[in-house]
Amino acid sequence: MKAEGKKKKKSMQDNVLDAAIVAVMILVVFSCLYPFLLAVIMSFNEGIDALKGGIYFWPRKLTFENYGSLFKDPVWGNAFLVTLARTVIGTTMTVFFTLFVSYGLSHKDLVFRKFYFSFFIFAMYFSGGVIPYYILLRSLHLLNKFWVYVVPGCLSLFYILVATSFFQGIPEEIAESAKLDGAGELKIFRSLILPLSKPIMATIAIFTSVGHWNNWYDSAFFATSNKGIRTMAYLMTAIINQSSTQNSAADAAMAAGVRTTTTLSIQLAAMVIAVLPILCVYPFFQRYFVTGLTVGAVKS
Amino acid sequence: MKGESKAKRYRRSVWREFWKQRSLQIFVLAGIVYILIFNYIPMFGLVIGFKDYKITSGIAGMISSPWVGFKHFVEFFADYKFVELMRNTLVLSILKLICSFPIPIIFAIMLNEVRHEGTKKFIQTISYLPYFISWVIVAGLLRIIASDSGIINDILMRAGLIAAPLEFLTSPRFFYGLCILTAIWKDTGWWTIIFLAAITGVDPTMYEAASIDGATRIQKMKYITFPSIAGTVTVVLILALGNLLGGGLSGSNFEQSYLLGNAGNREVADIIQTYVMRIGLSQGRYSYATAVGMLQSVISVMLVYSSNFISKKVSGDGLF
Repeated sequence: MKAEGKKKKKSMQDNVLDAAIVAVMILVVFSCLYPFLLAVIMSFNEGIDALKGGIYFWPRKLTFENYGSLFKDPVWGNAFLVTLARTVIGTTMTVFFTLFVSYGLSHKDLVFRKFYFSFFIFAMYFSGGVIPYYILLRSLHLLNKFWVYVVPGCLSLFYILVATSFFQGIPEEIAESAKLDGAGELKIFRSLILPLSKPIMATIAIFTSVGHWNNWYDSAFFATSNKGIRTMAYLMTAIINQSSTQNSAADAAMAAGVRTTTTLSIQLAAMVIAVLPILCVYPFFQRYFVTGLTVGAVKS
Repeated sequence: MKGESKAKRYRRSVWREFWKQRSLQIFVLAGIVYILIFNYIPMFGLVIGFKDYKITSGIAGMISSPWVGFKHFVEFFADYKFVELMRNTLVLSILKLICSFPIPIIFAIMLNEVRHEGTKKFIQTISYLPYFISWVIVAGLLRIIASDSGIINDILMRAGLIAAPLEFLTSPRFFYGLCILTAIWKDTGWWTIIFLAAITGVDPTMYEAASIDGATRIQKMKYITFPSIAGTVTVVLILALGNLLGGGLSGSNFEQSYLLGNAGNREVADIIQTYVMRIGLSQGRYSYATAVGMLQSVISVMLVYSSNFISKKVSGDGLF
C-alpha cells in the first residue's frame, strides 16, 4: 500500500519532468529554426508590403523580385564570387599547409621537435593584438588585396595539434616500407599519408570553410578601400550599420517609384542565399565536430 | 678536454641527424617561418604601445621609433571614455558569462533524458545550427524579429502588455539583454556537444544501482550526472574565464558591440575592442590603440591565472 503510493508519486514527478523536457525541446527547436524560416518567408514577400509587419507564416504578397534584384545587382554578384573564391582557395591552402607541417611534426625522432612544439603552442596563447597585426599586413602589402583573405591564417595552430596526434596514430611501418622502396618524404606524404587523412581533412575543411564563408571582419578592416573584393557578409554589415533614417529615405524613394523591393528585403534574400550552403552541409558532418571539439578540449 | 670533444661530437651527430631528415625538417620549418611572420612579429609589435610609432616607418619602425614609456597608458586612464569603456566591457562580459554559461549544461542534462535516440540526435543537430551562422546574419535576423513592426513587438502589443513598440534594437536599456539572448541562442547547442559527450561517458551501472535504491530521475541528475561532468564544467569554465573580456566561450563581444551597437545604444555598447579599432584603424593612432588593446590582454592573462588558481584551491585541479 505504502509502496504503491510512493510509486504513484514518483511517476507524477516523472510526468512533470517529462513535460518540462518536452516543452524545452520544442522551444529550442522552434527558436533555432523559426528565425530562418521567417527570413525565407519575408524574402519572398514584396519589400514595401513587408515593412507593415504581420508576416509570420506565409508571404502576404508573393514575389521573386527580391531575388531578381539581388541576382541582377553586380555588387552582390561580385561579392558572391569573391566569397566563393576565398572559401575554396583559403580552405584548400589551410588544409594542405596544416597537414604538411603536422606530418613533419608527427615524427617522434624529429630533431628539435620539443622546441617546435613550444614555439607553436606559445603562439597559440599569446598574440600581439590587432594593431601590430594590421601594421604587418600593411608592410607585407597585403592590405586591400584578395590575398589578405587567404594568406594570413592559412596555417591553423590549433589543427596542427589535432592533425599531429592524428598522424601519430598511423602505423609507422607504412612510411618505413615506402622509404625502403626509395620514396621521398614528399611522395610518401602525397601518395600514402594524404589518402589516409580524409577524416582530419574533412574536420579542418569544414571549420575553415565556414569561417571563410561567414567572414566580414577582414573585408571591413583590412580591405576597406578596395570595393572590388568585398565579401557577402561584409555587404550585409554595411546595410545593418546604415542608420534607420538612411534606410527609410532610400525606401521612401523606392516607394515613390515602381519598385517594390527595399534594402531590407534584398538583404533578406542575400541572407537566405548565404545561409543555404551551410544549412545543406552541416548536418552531415556531425561526427567531425565531436572529434574536433573533444580533442580540442583535451589539448587545451 | 675529453668532455668538450664529446659535446662537439654530440652536436655534430645532431646536425647529421637533422641533415638526414632534411625533407621532414623543411615541412616543419615552413610552418615555423610562417608563424614567425604572422604571430611573432605582431607579438613583438606590442612594443609600439610604449613608443611613438608612425605607420610610414613600416615594420622597421617598431624598432626605430622613440620610446615614450607609459605615456599612452596614462593618456587612456585620463581619457573621459576610460570609465565608460571599462564599465561596458566588464558589464557585458560578466553578464554574458553568468547568464549563458549554465545553459548548455542544463540543456545537455535535459537532452540526455530524451530516450529516443533519433529524436535526441535531431534536436541536437537543430540546436547547433546557429553556431555556424555568421553574427552578421544574426544581426539581420534581429532586424526582422525585434524591429518596431517585428513579431515580438506585435505579440506584446496584441497581448496588451505595451502600448507602443519597444525599441529593442536602438535603446540602451535592451542592449545587454539582446547580447545575452543572442549569445545563448548561438552557442548553447555547440557547447552542449561537449557536455553531452561527457554525460555519455558516465558508467551506466551507476544509474542502475541508483534505480535499485529507489532514486528518482531528478535525484539521479543531481547526484550522478552533474558530479560526473563537474571536471568538464571546470575546464570549460576556466577557458571561458580566460576569454571573459573577449566574450566568454565563443568570444563574441566585438561582433555584438560592432554589429548590434548603433547611435542609439552606443553609450552602453562601446567596448575596449571596438574603441581600439576606431582609434587605431580609423584615426590612425597606432601606438595609443596598441596600448589600450594591451591593457585588455594583461587583464585577460591575469584572469586565466587567477581562475586557474581558484579552481586548484576549490576543486583540487586546474588546467596547468
